[in-house]
Amino acid sequence: MEQLEYLAKSYTQAPWRRQLQLIGLFSLFLVLAALVAGIYLNVSAKTAIIGRDIQAKQRMLESLDRDIEDRTARLASILSVAEMEGRARKLGFEQVQPEQIVYLKLPGYIERSSVILAPYAQKTVVSAPMIPAEYTESLFTWLRRQASFTMLRLSEAKP
Amino acid sequence: MKDLDQYWRYSFVGALLCAAAIGIVLRIMSIQADPQRLKQLEAEIEQVTKVQKTIVPARGQIYDRWGNLLAGNKKVYEIGVELQDVEDPQFIAHAVSMIVPNIKYEYVFSMASLKPSPSAVYATLTRFAPQEAVDKLELLKKQLKEDYVANGKDAPSLRGLVYYPHLERYYPEKALASNILGFVSRDNQGYFGVEERFNELLSGKARTVLVPTDPNRVEEMPEVPNGASLVLTIEREVQLAMEEIIDDAVAETGSASGTLVVMNPKTGEIIAMATTPRIDLNEYWRLEEVFPPGSNIPFNRAVGQAYEPGSVFKPLTMAIALDTGAVTPDTVFVDTGSIEVGGIFIVNWNRGAWGPQDMTGCLQHSLNVCLAWVATQIGPNNFYRGLQAFGLGHLTGVDLAGEVAGRLKAPGDNDWFASDLGTNSFGQGIAVTPVQMAAAISAIANNGVMMAPKIVRSVINDGYQHDIEQRVIGMPIKPETARTLSEMLARSLEKESSDALVPGYRVAGKTGTAEIPIPGQGYTSNQTNASFVGWGPVDDPQFLVYVWLEKPSTSPWGSVVAAPVFRRAVEKLVIYLNLPPDDVRRRLASSN
Repeated sequence: MEQLEYLAKSYTQAPWRRQLQLIGLFSLFLVLAALVAGIYLNVSAKTAIIGRDIQAKQRMLESLDRDIEDRTARLASILSVAEMEGRARKLGFEQVQPEQIVYLKLPGYIERSSVILAPYAQKTVVSAPMIPAEYTESLFTWLRRQASFTMLRLSEAKP
Repeated sequence: MKDLDQYWRYSFVGALLCAAAIGIVLRIMSIQADPQRLKQLEAEIEQVTKVQKTIVPARGQIYDRWGNLLAGNKKVYEIGVELQDVEDPQFIAHAVSMIVPNIKYEYVFSMASLKPSPSAVYATLTRFAPQEAVDKLELLKKQLKEDYVANGKDAPSLRGLVYYPHLERYYPEKALASNILGFVSRDNQGYFGVEERFNELLSGKARTVLVPTDPNRVEEMPEVPNGASLVLTIEREVQLAMEEIIDDAVAETGSASGTLVVMNPKTGEIIAMATTPRIDLNEYWRLEEVFPPGSNIPFNRAVGQAYEPGSVFKPLTMAIALDTGAVTPDTVFVDTGSIEVGGIFIVNWNRGAWGPQDMTGCLQHSLNVCLAWVATQIGPNNFYRGLQAFGLGHLTGVDLAGEVAGRLKAPGDNDWFASDLGTNSFGQGIAVTPVQMAAAISAIANNGVMMAPKIVRSVINDGYQHDIEQRVIGMPIKPETARTLSEMLARSLEKESSDALVPGYRVAGKTGTAEIPIPGQGYTSNQTNASFVGWGPVDDPQFLVYVWLEKPSTSPWGSVVAAPVFRRAVEKLVIYLNLPPDDVRRRLASSN
């Protein structure tokens, strides 16, 4: 009996070694947890920075949209018919009289058409299904199709 | 004993922890199971993580046919004070009242002096400060910052003064086409014209949304599409030319007002619509100076004022007569100077007898007696059925707010009498708008096909342009009737050597002079409505012009005051529309 206890004690690890193992295991867990937390923090920080960037860009977009509207209006004011007419007169131009106009036939001349400020709405064309038939047909349909293909091939192979 | 103690201690701590865990789980479950509490919690979270924001989409732009901007948006600023940041309300009031137009020192001072509280954190000083004012304030702020560095706290401060940009409607052409466009008030509501008619489409839908402050939820930021833009059928240069012509005509003839409508009879597109008076749309608050309340002056007379048209109506009577076979161009009527219809005697404009006249002669000399006789030949049923087919008494559906239907009495109405058949035949006792008349007469110019008058050519929505289709609203007469009548009216103008004739271009048309009735007294005044309607070139009509001068004082006659306006309008139109004289056009066509 004493011999058995001696043997058990001999093969039992020393308490400090067991403690060390536990500490190591705990440390490993902590390191892993810190690693996961670190990666998570890194990713979420990057996401937040990009999110902030997007928010800033949205604000910038709003501001640019306003500026575009404003400048379009200012440009229209500069190009208004009264302004343009005034400038033309200052430059020495005068309104054409009917008797001064000469009408010519120019082959290939395309008459001015009304303004197109945006593309015309197209009719939606439903594209052909991209998923292969194997993914949509039933097993029996597939078997039937395979069988008919085989039959066809066999009949073609006949001399 | 010691082990037992330790056992109890551990068990107690364990039980406490378990109880706490169970408590937390139960609380979570109770919150989850209570939808009201859950909702309240969500609201509390939203309050912290989201801010409420009202997004007002940019109002759609309005262009003329060639893409010239007629109505756009300019940047203006809301100026306000963040009350908790204000240090020097006196200086803010001084600076703002000096720099920003139309704002008083006392008002700014009272606003900037408000005590901040949970319910008062911000005060608006003005919502529509121009860019220039904000630039000046910004410069002042910069100078003050430099002063602060030099003088420390004693320097005056604009701290708390803030400004936020937004858009306001702007009309670069000012008063041009104002009667067509209408205007937008500062609360983004369209009034009159296209702005009112298409207000919802142009303004888009303003939305109050909760915007997440959390950058990780940035994708939740809602997108609010801008309002749709419109392309009109109007040509800016033609519109200006027509406005100048009608303004000159009103001044020369001493008329109370003038209206001029130019339409393409083949498509129904209105190329220009000039009426008086007009206002600079960027100063719409002066509306009451030009259109005093109670004066009943419509914003756009072309669609908003019905009047007795007089003899310009005669082509419609003749069209019905020819179409129903009641008369032919060669039918001869012997004019004895008066005719009795329904118990009243109708006389000619000069009270004279014109003797035997064919139907072209009746139109050429504008004989009331002849046309009243023609109406009796048509008969009341066919006559009024014909007028209804021409769309009279109904709205034309033109794309403008404030259109009125006019008045067409018909047999069966309480106020219709047998005598109305005679008077209506030459445009008396009937009320029409210039647009109604233009649309009706366009059927004669366009081989019997009447097109719906339209102002909006295309709508640009969601990044796509959609053209508005031309719409046929009726075929009141046969094509051959239309051609015959066009020829009769062209010949009658030529025979008359009318002031409406345009060298090089064959035009058809008719003058009109209508006495203005005084309510309760009848046609006792000397005031008239002078009109002219004409179109050309007769063999391939490209334009129809309707002129109306209200109460001209130099001469009461349409042939004297309105016909020359038509000629002046056509002389300009043929240049802007690139229409060569008839002989040149035929020569160019034959060289194909």
